[in-house]
Amino acid sequence: MRARGFKRGGVPVDHRAPFKTGPIENAFLPMNAIVQLREHRCAVEPIPVVSVGQEVREGQLLARSAGKASSNVHSPIPGIVRRIETTRTSGGFDSKAILVSLEGSFSMLGKRPERYLWKSLNKADISHIVQDKGIVRVSSGEPLYEILSERSDAPGFVMVVSALEMDPYRRTEEELLALRAEDVVDGCAIAARMALPARIMFAVDERIEPATLEPLRELAARSELDIAIQPFRRRFPQDLPGQIAEAMDIADPGTLFIIEPSTLVALHEAVVSNKPHIEQYVYVGGGSIKRPAILKARIGAPIGDLIEECGGFSGHPETIVIGGPFRGRAAADLDAPVTRTTRAVLALSPEETKSAPERPCVRCGDCVDACPEGLSPYRLLKLLRSGRPDDALAAGLGRCSSCGSCSYACRSRIPLVRYFDEARQNEVRR
Amino acid sequence: MNCTKLELRSYPPFIHDWKTSAKAAWICSATLVPVALWSSVLYGRIAVVTWLTAVAAALVAEAAASALTRRWTLGDGSAVLTGLLIAAAMPPGAPWYVPVASAAFAILIVKAAFGGLGANWMNPALAGVAFAYANWPAHMREYVLPRFVAGVDGVTAATPLTFAKGLAGGLDIKVMDALRGASYPLSAIDGAVTGFLNDSLFSRLSARLPDGYIDLIIGFKPGALGESALLAVALGSIVLVSLRLIKLEIPLAMLAVFGLLARLFGTGLPGEGFLAGDAMFAMSGGSLLLVAFYMAADPVSSPVGRGACLLYGASIGALSFVFRRWGAFTEGVAYAVLVMNVTVPFIEKAATGLRLKRGGVA
Ligand code: SF4
Ligand code: SF4
Repeated sequence: MRARGFKRGGVPVDHRAPFKTGPIENAFLPMNAIVQLREHRCAVEPIPVVSVGQEVREGQLLARSAGKASSNVHSPIPGIVRRIETTRTSGGFDSKAILVSLEGSFSMLGKRPERYLWKSLNKADISHIVQDKGIVRVSSGEPLYEILSERSDAPGFVMVVSALEMDPYRRTEEELLALRAEDVVDGCAIAARMALPARIMFAVDERIEPATLEPLRELAARSELDIAIQPFRRRFPQDLPGQIAEAMDIADPGTLFIIEPSTLVALHEAVVSNKPHIEQYVYVGGGSIKRPAILKARIGAPIGDLIEECGGFSGHPETIVIGGPFRGRAAADLDAPVTRTTRAVLALSPEETKSAPERPCVRCGDCVDACPEGLSPYRLLKLLRSGRPDDALAAGLGRCSSCGSCSYACRSRIPLVRYFDEARQNEVRR
Repeated sequence: MNCTKLELRSYPPFIHDWKTSAKAAWICSATLVPVALWSSVLYGRIAVVTWLTAVAAALVAEAAASALTRRWTLGDGSAVLTGLLIAAAMPPGAPWYVPVASAAFAILIVKAAFGGLGANWMNPALAGVAFAYANWPAHMREYVLPRFVAGVDGVTAATPLTFAKGLAGGLDIKVMDALRGASYPLSAIDGAVTGFLNDSLFSRLSARLPDGYIDLIIGFKPGALGESALLAVALGSIVLVSLRLIKLEIPLAMLAVFGLLARLFGTGLPGEGFLAGDAMFAMSGGSLLLVAFYMAADPVSSPVGRGACLLYGASIGALSFVFRRWGAFTEGVAYAVLVMNVTVPFIEKAATGLRLKRGGVA
């Protein structure tokens, strides 16, 4: 099938860091797990239900959802609750975190998972399990039951299972499609039972291995769902809803519900094996990592542990990034914990970051060519710098998706998207 | 101050394109090195001295500007590039103070006084060259013959363009033949290569390449330093374009419009009639190519946006033609670019307006 792509701008991702595929390993259990209760700026903090000194089992509830935009949090390891305190996260906002130190025996790792036959469950049962097990959408951190039930209220949408990984590093989703296709399709069926999409589209990379694609195709055909598999061109930011919609000639990106295989796997495990969201697939890589790998890590494990399991650093990394190279965040230090939204940990060498001193804008127009929304970033910057945020909004600042393509391309290394983000935050505050 | 800098660094995206403004300037400069070498072969010591003086003066001026504004900017490569471009526009053997003054004017007045790189709305190198033409018109128009043509260094001669313009020609005589008729010096190489090409290639196409064009192309003619190495300039331009360092639309539109007009109306040379202008002569003479790729397409002083760039390039081409056809001097192209530099904001507005009218987005 013909690969589709968005129409203008973006950054080609022709080169991908070499990676040895194979079974995904479980990371070692952390001695101390720092469980962050809030995963993103807008999340509402759940209420802790344990106290310092208390012994907890693996998977035991640590904090209960406080309602909307808040999810249950479970203990990733068996142990003792040592501290409950507010810390500054790598995302730049404050969140309460519960520190559990490893002690006692495992209930999940050793035992075979129980297998429920989910087909006999109805929508309410499933919704209850998903809420109870604290499953969040890995790409956004929103509670899954919440966004699924919102969707089920407004039928006629397209569920996009997005295995698009538009950066030179991460390929977790594609690996999951290769290794756990059955669970992904099953998870998809569970999600579909809850949210009732009009149709389902698997969004895959144009250069996906046929060995991955063929079995997936068969599974999709065998399932009772209306699943189409659509390849997309590998160009950042093809993975954003706006660009997927543009590539599909869909006018309103709001009619797309995007969910990724790793979330579906977590959903599947919650419903079928009764497992809370205490694990996360993390791609550990970048030019300064000795042996890049995908690890199945426990929530709360320090990223330094994962890096060590991948052979540690080779050379001096310039930045450690949590998340993707385009839109991730710099890790404050190596003790930063894995959360349910940590999809990658990258140690980037100076050859990769290609950072350089910021210089004045030379009007080269590279940012204009890179912007997928058809904006003129250099002009927006000029307007913002001369204190005219309203004119910047009139020139399209509101349409900026913060993708960062312009900053990537800027030959004067002006952090354009930072100015845009800040301007919009100020706008909200006004 | 330091703290905000650190924070800026740690903002996504964390990876970048290989291009930086400094790298772009250094690569541009590097592509001019073959030009400098070739002209040094042609003119010997006097050429070397002019190249070095211009670059040194540019560096000193930039250092002075850095010291004044307390912003160290020598590393961004733009000063060296400006120095090289000024040297390229100098006639070989120009007195040392001409390139020095041009470079100082370019960097201290045109660039630094407007707020440094990025804020200058005029191309500094071109402004420096125009400054030299205004102050030392005689020195700037005193050309010498390459030593291969004259046999010795330092024989003065008019450029083919000036020379040809001075010739009264009938319609029946081609510009090159007119030149030769007026015993304009041509090199032995030209005779040999032209003869060879005519025998082996053009005779089969039943065409004939007149003598003299080979000289024009390889630089065996009097001219500015950068003009003499047309092939090296063309090579450098290819590098700039293929690395996407410049806005290709500008030189393309400029050369296309200029060439078309020259073909249609002629550039005031002997042997030209309506629809029979000698576009090849017009385009190989003068530093058209150098100005088109290295100065008109300079990002800072040109518009942003495809439509605006096409409009801008086309206007420069048309204006250059007007200056060349009816103006007195060969440097009309430089003035054309400077004039259009001033109009950049209007051009951008016009292009945006057009796009809006067509229903596009701003
Ligand atoms: S961050 Fe905004 S302005 Fe920059 S390229 Fe992306 S959409 Fe365009
Ligand atoms: S890419 Fe950077 S230097 Fe070039 S026009 Fe945009 S903001 Fe200016």
